[in-house]
Amino acid sequence: MSTAHVLLGLLAGGPRHGYDLKRAHDERLPRAKPLAFGQVYATLGRLERDGYVTESGQDRDGGPDRTSYELTEDGRQHLDTWLSAVEPPAPYVTSEIFSKVVVALLAADAERARDYLVAQRSAHMSRMRELTTAKSTPGASIGDVLAADYAIGHLEADLNWLQTTLTRVAAFSKEVTN
Amino acid sequence: MRPTTLVRLAVAGSRTDRLRTVLTALSALLATVAMLCAATVLSITDYAERYTNPLLIEPGLRPGVAATLILVSLPVLALAGQCIRLGAPARDRRLAAIRLAGATPGESVLIATAETVVAGLLGSGTGLVAFLVARRLLDRPDLYGQRVLPTDVLPPVPVLVVLVLLVPVLAGVIGAVLMRQVIITPLGVVRRVRTRGPRPWPGLLIAAGIGLFAVPGQLGEQWNMSKNTVYAFLGSGAVLTMAGVVLGTAWISYAAGVLLRRYGRGPVTLLAGQRLITDPWNGSRTMAGLLTAVIAGAVALAYRELLATEFRYYDVYNAMMGWTDGGMGAPDEPEFYYGAVRLVMVAVALASVVAAAGVLVALAESIVARRRTYAALTATGVPRRTLSAAVLLQTLTPLIPALLLGLAAGDALVRLILSEKPVGNEFRECVAAGGGGCEAPLHPEMATVLHVPIPWGNLALLGGGALLAVLVAVGAGLLVLRASTDLEELRAS
Amino acid sequence: MSALLSGTSIVRNYGATPALRGVDLTVDEGEIVAVTGPSGCGKSTLLHCLAGILRPDAGTVTYREQNIGLWSEAARSRLRRTEFGVLFQFGQLVPELTAVENVALPLLLAGSGRREARGVAAEWLDRLGVADLAEQRPGTMSGGQQQRCATARALVTQPRVLFADEPTGALDVLTGEQVLGEIVRVAREHGTAVVLVTHASSVAAYADREIVLRDGVLDPTGLGLGVAR
Repeated sequence: MSTAHVLLGLLAGGPRHGYDLKRAHDERLPRAKPLAFGQVYATLGRLERDGYVTESGQDRDGGPDRTSYELTEDGRQHLDTWLSAVEPPAPYVTSEIFSKVVVALLAADAERARDYLVAQRSAHMSRMRELTTAKSTPGASIGDVLAADYAIGHLEADLNWLQTTLTRVAAFSKEVTN
Repeated sequence: MRPTTLVRLAVAGSRTDRLRTVLTALSALLATVAMLCAATVLSITDYAERYTNPLLIEPGLRPGVAATLILVSLPVLALAGQCIRLGAPARDRRLAAIRLAGATPGESVLIATAETVVAGLLGSGTGLVAFLVARRLLDRPDLYGQRVLPTDVLPPVPVLVVLVLLVPVLAGVIGAVLMRQVIITPLGVVRRVRTRGPRPWPGLLIAAGIGLFAVPGQLGEQWNMSKNTVYAFLGSGAVLTMAGVVLGTAWISYAAGVLLRRYGRGPVTLLAGQRLITDPWNGSRTMAGLLTAVIAGAVALAYRELLATEFRYYDVYNAMMGWTDGGMGAPDEPEFYYGAVRLVMVAVALASVVAAAGVLVALAESIVARRRTYAALTATGVPRRTLSAAVLLQTLTPLIPALLLGLAAGDALVRLILSEKPVGNEFRECVAAGGGGCEAPLHPEMATVLHVPIPWGNLALLGGGALLAVLVAVGAGLLVLRASTDLEELRAS
Repeated sequence: MSALLSGTSIVRNYGATPALRGVDLTVDEGEIVAVTGPSGCGKSTLLHCLAGILRPDAGTVTYREQNIGLWSEAARSRLRRTEFGVLFQFGQLVPELTAVENVALPLLLAGSGRREARGVAAEWLDRLGVADLAEQRPGTMSGGQQQRCATARALVTQPRVLFADEPTGALDVLTGEQVLGEIVRVAREHGTAVVLVTHASSVAAYADREIVLRDGVLDPTGLGLGVAR
């Protein structure tokens, strides 16, 4: 997937070495899973093999040797292709929440479904509250805010869908029983 | 709340609010000047030969002149009342917003009233100044020291003060009374709606008024009434009749609306009819001044006819007696009496014009208040022509019956004083006794009964004039409708 | 410690239509409470009752241990210009007054002098970042600017409770977020409790806690599960 593309994107601004790349990644995409060093170097190796990046120099200020990498012309092209390719707009609903709610509503007994839904809603709400607090904290970085926005938007969409689904199912079962 | 805050909030207004202030001030000015003139005329004492005009010379005629002037000032006051309602939607929003900011209901009414009082005071103050300047400029005694106008007397200062304060205070009271019908909540202004349609009870008022008016004429001789009692009966009868006609217009509107809805075909009658049913009091409010003036005019016209009959009676009597110079009664100068009636008619005409202006103001206000509805109707494809026709219909449908009622009531009042005058009673009694030997009448009309005719032509002229005035007002109001149905209005909040 | 503001079994009807059918709620000093629920659930009516704009048909609204539901209209109005601040979706500014006059209005109504009131109002406009709009009228401002001015007016008397009914409902997401951020920040700085009515859970997420109304009663599940209809 796109760890490679993210690294290519980060290198588009100029040569960086591995540690630098990891830091920039975690900072720009704060709510994504943090990158492990091993993964950084493995990915860089693959990119070098494919001719997308190339070693641009060694520096050694005080610490161990550090190799910095830069984007090749091929790499830039590859990045551009990726950036201009339209992602398929969510072709499959694969969310765990989706499956669980559908199963709870259509298959599980009412009591259990109810407990689950209430707990899920409340978990969503408190997560949204946390994220809202995080992004309104003075000094929050743009990366933090973008990530929080993304997460809040999805959580809110989940909640709205949940509510609509409940209303729909209620109306439906009423129709059936009447 | 400090007075400065009150004034700031009272004069905080948009263009419509300023227009209202100017119109209120203007009508206050006119009313004050008219009443100052009336007070001046009343301040003249005794038989005042220093004037050239007999209306001012004779003590018995001066109250009539004063009454006429006051009659003119009444519709002007009514106009001020109409102006208070002008631009109500914007003011309602403003008052609600002020309430939301924490103004108490009393304070918001105070703010609304203060605006009217300030405008009224502005107008009546200017009126006083204008009056004082005018009486100085018009003070032109001729060679014999005689004056055309009573510019040499001035009402006492307390009277002046009272008159200058009267209009603002009245305007404030009217404003406060009008505000009683609205509840200014922080969420908006709620008008108390009368849910039940109006009933025809005002018909009873008209009946009672006519009854009271008839008392002196029918029973005056048996009861031996004092002059003041007679005036009280006539005055209260006239006022009750006028009130009955004005209030009855609401029922007429409602009934007309129901009929339009039931038998009407097409959108125009539907819109107009529903409007009349929804707000039947609109007609009473807008037409009050005009109807009052029309009733007064009908009374004056009928009275003119009564006078004419009396003069004919004198002519016949004098001819019968063979008197050629002067003779009985005071018909030496019937023109003088007709002049007095004409004066009243001029007053009525003036009053009608002012009242028509009031109709225009009220009409414009009601259109502006419902401009979103009109704009929405236009947006959904209702032609402006249809809307205009609906406005015209909803104005004229109740007006025409109300005008007829007013004319009839006015004429009926006077006919109760006198509707016929028999000549040659002795001869007729003699004939009736059947004894014979009755002296033949010298004059062909001597043995007849003189009927006071109904002045059909003049009444029609009066009613037609009033109708025309309203048509002009509606025409001008439709221009407002045109501006209000601009689809831009849908965007205005 | 008893709550700053509480409603007990609040019932309110519009004619024959019930809007609130017995709602309980407490708001503590300095707390931000979101009231959410679908359209027509009665959340605005609840806010109006709590703010003393409407009088409940039954039940009590208690502020500092006083049943303000029993107070006269005038007394509740005075409460609104001293202890309470009110913020709506739009339309609460007087269109004919300038921003600074609008913000000064509650102070002026309470009897402050013009100069003093304008001074305080200017400070609050500054606090909400719209000091340069002081002499403008609402009609010439953007929605976000209007809401900032309205927030300044709602807070100018340093109220103990701010009632906000969809304060960002007429604004786009970013502007709404900024305005909401300012409201919450200033309220927290001054220890003002906030009753925040909204239909959006992303707005409710600004609050410390949330209550959900449905068909005029509290919905403890938040999802309309097992609510008596």
